[in-house]
Amino acid sequence: MGLWLGHLKRTPLLLFIVLYTIATGGPFAWVAAMSVRTTPEIFGNPYALPTHLRWDKFVEAWTTSNYGTYFWNSTIVVVTAVALVTIIGAMAAHCLARYRFRGRRTVRFLILSGMVLPPQLLILSLFQIMLDYRLYNSLTGLIVVYVATQLAMTVYILEGFFAQIPQDLFDAARMDGYSDFEIFWRITLPIGIAAIFTTVTLNFIILWNEFLYAVVLLTEDSRRTLPLGIMHFMGGHQLDVGMIATGLMIAILPVILLYAFFSETMIRGMTAGAVR
Amino acid sequence: MAVVTVDKLSKRYEGSSELAVKDVAFTVGDGEFMVLLGPSGCGKSSVLRMIAGLEPITSGTVSIDGRVMNQVAAKDRDIAMVFQSYALYPHMDVYTNLAFGLRRRRVAREEIDRRVRSVAAKLGLTPFLSRKPHALSGGQRQRVALGRAIVRDPKVFLFDEPLSNLDAALRVTTRNELIKQQDELGTTTIYVTHDQVEAMTMGDRMCIMNKGEVIQIGRPLEVYRNPADTFVARFLGNPPMNLLTGRLEAAGERPTLRLEGAVFELPDWSLTALARYRDRELTAGVRPEDLWETPPLGLEAQIVLLPVRVITVEPLGAETLLLLSLDGSEQELIARVGRDTALKAGERASIALDSSAVHLFDPATTKAIPRAG
Repeated sequence: MGLWLGHLKRTPLLLFIVLYTIATGGPFAWVAAMSVRTTPEIFGNPYALPTHLRWDKFVEAWTTSNYGTYFWNSTIVVVTAVALVTIIGAMAAHCLARYRFRGRRTVRFLILSGMVLPPQLLILSLFQIMLDYRLYNSLTGLIVVYVATQLAMTVYILEGFFAQIPQDLFDAARMDGYSDFEIFWRITLPIGIAAIFTTVTLNFIILWNEFLYAVVLLTEDSRRTLPLGIMHFMGGHQLDVGMIATGLMIAILPVILLYAFFSETMIRGMTAGAVR
Repeated sequence: MAVVTVDKLSKRYEGSSELAVKDVAFTVGDGEFMVLLGPSGCGKSSVLRMIAGLEPITSGTVSIDGRVMNQVAAKDRDIAMVFQSYALYPHMDVYTNLAFGLRRRRVAREEIDRRVRSVAAKLGLTPFLSRKPHALSGGQRQRVALGRAIVRDPKVFLFDEPLSNLDAALRVTTRNELIKQQDELGTTTIYVTHDQVEAMTMGDRMCIMNKGEVIQIGRPLEVYRNPADTFVARFLGNPPMNLLTGRLEAAGERPTLRLEGAVFELPDWSLTALARYRDRELTAGVRPEDLWETPPLGLEAQIVLLPVRVITVEPLGAETLLLLSLDGSEQELIARVGRDTALKAGERASIALDSSAVHLFDPATTKAIPRAG
């Protein structure tokens, strides 16, 4: 009886999980199916399962449709931006969490206010700044913008985590003779590694899929990142749905791999309590 | 050799208008074990952190062997500290935790290994050297924290409530372990605690603090027997000293104290010493162990019988605590009597007071009134 009641109580939860999985996984499965079908096949029956797996579409996308270049551009921009934002963000978070200095609140407010401003608001002035500094239409420019936009969230997550590391650890390291930077490097970073992984994963996913800044700041085809490359297939009068799906699958692969490897660490980082 | 001198040390924290530490001064002799004792928030940890160099000093000086340390960085003071939370680096194994401080000091690798292993053997940590702190018990972590301090062979040890995270049984064994280690090493030690049992059993001397100020410094039993004021009297001893309001009178040349229901002579004071309190109210202090259900043999001459009403009886096994009220008044007192007491709650009784064990305090200043000679 008790067991029955237990099952009954869990039914709504199970139902919710099933529906949620269909809602999120369904479109993904649909795009995955389309990625190995041709556009005429798809227009013939959009929801059908592939009758013939056309893997050659991936080769075609990579070579003739320039996806190789887009992928490489995305990799350069995202890896560099994530590396920079992690290092700068971790240092800033360490200082904000650890030191009581004059103007700390103001600095914190200014950094975190970056989170509340919508990108559409910044895009015009950003465009002008990029032009002035000759960073328009360059991967370096996009990296700088990405670092700036993701810094607020990175500092926010890391500061919350670093603040929970007991002060005694830092005092002990100071008495052991370590400098402020060594303490950051040897204590904060290794202890906060779960939070670091969290921000790395989140930033990677967000930037890998970023479209708005990229479309405004990059115009040359050879510098486009993956999300722009996919848009390339959407012509004015025709839509190569099959190729878009293939492109999407190529684009999404690194994100899935990253999430598969780091999802547990990421969840631990986001839910971690005090260090014991 | 290390003598730690703290002189007129004060601390004001940013954003606070009050001093957290006010003009604290004491000297800890070479190899001495000094305990800073006081309730939480009394400033004892702030004093320790200023000695350690972890907290800037607002005014006053900290010196070690005559050298003023105010501007010397924590790492250059040759001090090791054991923290309340142990502060073990969670991502390093026990060996690395012990070696971490030595590595920074550029000690040779072989020497580090020798010292770490010798300290680990001494503290029984050898089997755990490759474990991370989270895989250790509370007692083991505490020993690693102690080992990390010992391995550096510093001039001064600082302890910040190192036993307060341990359970009661472990606390007793670790306390004895600490006493043994300190005896062997003979290193100058300053130990902060709010636990009076630790202070009484561990310290060569204790420094009692309250509200940022030093109230009394002395050997533990000396302080227990002669508390400087009512705060110390109540803070040391469990149950604390009973404080009763009485009236000072005179019987011929001798001073007497009138409590509710009893008048008795004060054998340790002269009337001249108490002249200013004559016919005024005084605070009398009596420790629970100086109250008797039946007076012991040989003490009859100085025994006074107080009429009381028993409020509660608390049998603790080895002894029994009686909460009493002086008959005819609201004043309550606790007596520590034998385990076989027949007294019951609600009964009226006479409780014997050893009049030579009475302490007197000025009711206005709360300071103790010294005994004559």
